[in-house]
Amino acid sequence: MAHTVTPVPHRVTPYRLELLMPRPSPGSVRHAHRARRVVGLALALLVLLTSACQSTAEPSAAPERLSRSDSRASLASHPEPTKVGIHRVHGRLPVARRKAVRRQVGAVVDRWWEAAYLGGTYPRSSFPSAFPGFTDAAEERARADKALLTNQVAGPRIDSVTARKRTVRLDILATGRQARAVTAQFVLTFDTAGSRTGTTAVRGRLFLTRKRGAWRVFGYDVAKGAR
Amino acid sequence: MGRTMRLARTVALVAVLAVTAFVVPTSAVQPTEVSLVKIRHAEGVATGGEDVVWILGVGSDARPGQAMTRARGDALQLVGINTRTGAATAIGVPRDSWVAIPGHGREKINSALYFAGPRGMAGAMRNLTGIEPDYVVVTRFPFFEDMIDDIGGITVTNPRRFTDPNLKKEGFARGRIRLGGYDAMAFSRIRYNLPGGDFDRSANQQRTLRGIHARIRAQADVPGFIERGVMSVMAHTDTNASPAELFEIAQAIAQVDPRKITTCVVRGRIGSVGAASVVFPDVAQARRLGREARQDAALRRC
Repeated sequence: MAHTVTPVPHRVTPYRLELLMPRPSPGSVRHAHRARRVVGLALALLVLLTSACQSTAEPSAAPERLSRSDSRASLASHPEPTKVGIHRVHGRLPVARRKAVRRQVGAVVDRWWEAAYLGGTYPRSSFPSAFPGFTDAAEERARADKALLTNQVAGPRIDSVTARKRTVRLDILATGRQARAVTAQFVLTFDTAGSRTGTTAVRGRLFLTRKRGAWRVFGYDVAKGAR
Repeated sequence: MGRTMRLARTVALVAVLAVTAFVVPTSAVQPTEVSLVKIRHAEGVATGGEDVVWILGVGSDARPGQAMTRARGDALQLVGINTRTGAATAIGVPRDSWVAIPGHGREKINSALYFAGPRGMAGAMRNLTGIEPDYVVVTRFPFFEDMIDDIGGITVTNPRRFTDPNLKKEGFARGRIRLGGYDAMAFSRIRYNLPGGDFDRSANQQRTLRGIHARIRAQADVPGFIERGVMSVMAHTDTNASPAELFEIAQAIAQVDPRKITTCVVRGRIGSVGAASVVFPDVAQARRLGREARQDAALRRC
């Protein structure tokens, strides 16, 4: 899995700017210069603070035609990488472990998105393995919510899917310098082509704990809407 | 003059809007780039194992310096959460209930914590209701206050005005009232001039639990709220639940539907054993409540 670090536009930016910006007295050029420097420093810090992990999806985003016989079938093209950032770590967690959590949880979310919305061939109505990374019990619940947690309803009228926005923000609960639980707040936006043309937004939260050595989704709170 | 005033008002309005656009921070959940004409919602939590998770909440009367798991358990609520249906129930037990404590004969149930610790209290509760709790969470009154303050206070519906000369001289008004940490503790502890005594106090504890649930549910989607809550619980309680299990329980609580919460207090009659005043609980009712709620965390009647 490719793993790069890039700055991410982050919703906390206005708060951070407000906190970091000085209040120069009117007419003070020296203060104004210092203010610009501080703002520059603040922006640089922001870039660092909000730097996020980009994890490409599994399977690889490299195009691969899965169904050559069906002329209508087109590969869901989704070059937009997932931006995974940490909102806050509650407790103490070494930097290396934070990065590992970010990478691992980002991959879990990606795998679900790929299986449920973005990957595979369209049109289709079957999403038999849409919940990789879910616990068995959570998968059972999720199957009852397939209308929202997958593209099952619109799938037969979709020819292709293109991701527009893939963001994940994590709140990590840590004790004993180990990550114990994660809330992954996410927004996925994608365009669909075909007789069902439009934009769909899926947003909400996934709840994860570690089971059998891997992060697994045990719960969700998801809203889905389409234009 | 009129045009000038209108122009000035318009400019002022535009300025306010412009400033607002820049100053007002983005909402907690950012709007998407599309306007959604139809939004549907799904939520679910599976804690693994059974659909219903049973938690025994114990309010210990430990004094400063005393281990809270080796004191009397004065507030006793057996809480069931059905992670499949979103139902939840609380069975309250008066603290003076005369019950069998495993390995210690018959005693007041509040002494089970002192004699046998959380496990013994769980056993006493099982003997009475037939339900063995999966988790026991013990806290003490100052810690309880801190936890309520940590979640920002609660709102409860109080059916009657009542006071206490020591804990709350001015009393609690009837109706919807807001409680901070201290008041939530006092609301849950006071027995003085409640017509039903310990039974009414237990019912008040259940009102407090509803208030806590409402607060958690309302704030659950605020980033970090559940994590902070779990940290607070870990800091202020003694429990056999791991941090990950507490997180799972907290998420399950957040998804409980307030319309599906049912509560009952185990009835009983006041009597005495030797010089001690006790409650002889209605064991048949307690067992029936246990049977009724065990599978789905729902009570049809008390």
